[in-house]
Amino acid sequence: MSAYIQYLLSGMVIGAIYAIVALGFYIMWSAVRAVNFAHGDTLMIGAVISVALMWSGIPLYLGIPIAIAVAAVFGVIIERIAVRPLNHGSSSIGWMLSTIAIGLMIEAFVTITFGSDPRSLPSPLMDEPIIFMGAGVFMHELLIPVAAIGLLFALDGFYKHTMLGRGMRAVALNPMAAGLMGIDVKRVASISFAVAAALGAVAGILAAPIVQVSATMGLLLGLKGFLVAIIAGMSNARGVVIVGFAYGILERFVEGFGSTAAREVVGFSVMILLLLIFPKGIFSPKEVQKV
Amino acid sequence: MKNPLKNNRFLVMAALFGLALILAPWLVANSFQLRVVMLFMIYALVAMGLNILVGLAGLVSLGQAGIYALGAYAVAVLATSYGWGFFPAMLAAIVLTTIFGIALAYPTVRVRGVYLAVVTIAFGMIVQNVAIDWRSVTGGTLGISNVPRVDFGFGELGTDGLYVLIAVVVFLAFLVHHNVMYSRFGRSMRAVSQSEVAARSLGIDPTARRVFAFVISAVYAGVAGGLYAYLNRYVNPDTFSFSDSIRFLLMVILGGSGTTLGPIVGAGVLTWIPNVLQAFGKWQLFAYGALLAVVIFFLPKGIVGTIEHWIGVVRNRTNTRARTPEAWPKPSDEANALLRVEGKHHHGAVLATSGLTIRFGGLAAVSEVDVSIERATVHAIIGPNGAGKTTLLNALSGFYKPTEGEVLLRGHPIGGTRSDRIARDGLTRTFQNTELFADMTLEENVLVAFDSRYRGGIATAMARLPGHFGEERLMRARARMLLDYVGLADYADEIARNLAFGHQRRLEIARALALSPEVLLLDEPAAGLTHAEIDDLIALIRDLKALGITIVLVEHHVDMIMAVSDHVTVLDYGQVIASGTPDQVQDDPRVVEAYFGTAAVNPNEQGAQ
Repeated sequence: MSAYIQYLLSGMVIGAIYAIVALGFYIMWSAVRAVNFAHGDTLMIGAVISVALMWSGIPLYLGIPIAIAVAAVFGVIIERIAVRPLNHGSSSIGWMLSTIAIGLMIEAFVTITFGSDPRSLPSPLMDEPIIFMGAGVFMHELLIPVAAIGLLFALDGFYKHTMLGRGMRAVALNPMAAGLMGIDVKRVASISFAVAAALGAVAGILAAPIVQVSATMGLLLGLKGFLVAIIAGMSNARGVVIVGFAYGILERFVEGFGSTAAREVVGFSVMILLLLIFPKGIFSPKEVQKV
Repeated sequence: MKNPLKNNRFLVMAALFGLALILAPWLVANSFQLRVVMLFMIYALVAMGLNILVGLAGLVSLGQAGIYALGAYAVAVLATSYGWGFFPAMLAAIVLTTIFGIALAYPTVRVRGVYLAVVTIAFGMIVQNVAIDWRSVTGGTLGISNVPRVDFGFGELGTDGLYVLIAVVVFLAFLVHHNVMYSRFGRSMRAVSQSEVAARSLGIDPTARRVFAFVISAVYAGVAGGLYAYLNRYVNPDTFSFSDSIRFLLMVILGGSGTTLGPIVGAGVLTWIPNVLQAFGKWQLFAYGALLAVVIFFLPKGIVGTIEHWIGVVRNRTNTRARTPEAWPKPSDEANALLRVEGKHHHGAVLATSGLTIRFGGLAAVSEVDVSIERATVHAIIGPNGAGKTTLLNALSGFYKPTEGEVLLRGHPIGGTRSDRIARDGLTRTFQNTELFADMTLEENVLVAFDSRYRGGIATAMARLPGHFGEERLMRARARMLLDYVGLADYADEIARNLAFGHQRRLEIARALALSPEVLLLDEPAAGLTHAEIDDLIALIRDLKALGITIVLVEHHVDMIMAVSDHVTVLDYGQVIASGTPDQVQDDPRVVEAYFGTAAVNPNEQGAQ
């Protein structure tokens, strides 16, 4: 029994990370129907800068906001130089390749400057595990799912109750009409990528104390976050978070009863199956095909 | 891609490539460099296969390393643990990768674009992790070592022997790659990726073409994987990661997707570059990323694609002959022979519906429609905007499945039959917003429509078997003839997207006629045309009717309807409100009401969608 609880708890922790990453993909996709394919690197940037600043003596309460701000700026730059010039219609893959290329550069740069040895970010909430029905969990870990849900509600509120958020929703539904109504579609794109990158950095910083911080930490997290967002349907923030949690929990159970490799095999197989059953994503409204 | 029959340039290319393969062993300094050359050839093989998928079919795979791994592991396991020889082991690799190619093509029925990319990423991840976890077969993370050397029964092949083997395979693969691209299969794959609906309306089954593209790319990757196992004599999961899949895709894009030499150039550059980049020391990976970024930003067509683009620009500059459209239709005996419908099959209505209803959600776009269309007549379907005319046309041509009721072609039910089958069965159409294969020439646009007329199959095209060239020449002559028929012969080698709008309509009609249809559905053919062009269109429709072709015309242009129609059916809110000769319908009070409204009708509803 305690094993089940353990898997459930740690699955929620990793699932919350996926959920925050996937929310970033969802925000980018809504704005421009394209994403930073190397979004995993914004996680890495957030975590690495936080660690680097801490090692150079800057306190975390200053270092973390700086790291998030840097990531947000990075997001804006990526959108401007790598996505916007290469995003022509639904069949273009230029943005996919350009963001991958920039991701490779960033990872190489971080490996050189930060070193290839993984480091850790200490959290004050990781001293004593809380024992809950025989399962151990750190306070910091519990914080992550709470943060994911908090961010979801914040995003929801932003979309529903601010002028800018409403504009962003309008762009998501019909960029052309939104543009004709006077919404600055390009500005919405920049802001969306900034918000997405900031969320990515938050995910990276939250994950830093429990995974090792290194130049390549974002690769798999980013990839899975993207899969989660696609499976959920890219049209519904709540759906994205739900699928993120579900995927994390599934992974932990398979890993617990099998192996790390089995986790990936089962996880990715389930993804493919879900995509075949729900080609537009689980939480997407049905669309009628028009000729 | 202009004229595959003029393949002198390709013969030169192939000869040079063959010569390079022959000379390479003498040009390299040592056996390490020769191994690098062999690795390059193996990568070129993967890239050529992927080029068919990405460059022709427009499908992006980010899991090609997974297929490559299947080939490598199949050969490594069978040769090492079971002592299989080269041919059986390679055959097994081909069979295995074919199966997975088909399996991977299945999702394209439902998902495309970035969604498909996700499926392929997941597939690559699954293969790699199965290789890690299935230790009893794959050796886990340690992999399989001591793969035996290739042995055809007269001693083991050394490095040089293996080189010859790989070079022969790659050269043959290069020929097949070219032959597929410049055949009706390559053409129809490009057509499907440029406009799936148009391809379907011309009798092409998009799923079959996508499966074909996936299978070719999978077999190429599988063979490459098998050769890799023999070359390296050691396989482990690290060689088949997501970043390897990305590298394969980059080879295609870097070289120029959709070009003959592109994948080879791309594979060459990306195999050779790491050696050069070693000069950058620890900045090597950074330089690699920077190089890719530069290529993607500044050479989006890839190296070969960019060169071809500039060659084309220079040629067009030197070739400034003015092209003039000619009047149309321009009937000729050949065209009439191709288009004439022999009315022998069936008496009564050639096309009919009974109780046809199409519902979207709760909304009935077409409800309880009965129409009966007589052979060799012009039957107009008119009605206000949103009356359901195009929906009806989509149901007749198989793009929508009837919710209720039936569509009958020559008395046989076709409701729910796939549109490409209906097209091959003699019913085709044009589209309200022209659906051309925008990046293909006019001639190629028409040739796509001849696809179902070819008798030569895949093998004929791949190996250029006897009959291939003759048949290709015949179809080309017919395509030219139809372009001549619509007065566009002078433009045959132009790219369709460069045509003026009125000419695009003509091309679309020529393309539909290539199927020698019995029934032709025209969806607002006069929209956007000038008065003179509409007069030509009227002449064309009369001409086609005289040849026995049944025309179903959705149109707003009243003068034209009155001039050409034998029968008019009026739809409003999805229902037939009048039907008869043009004169009868014109005076029908319900028709007047539907178009202009009466005092009893709320004026706000006029023109409602």
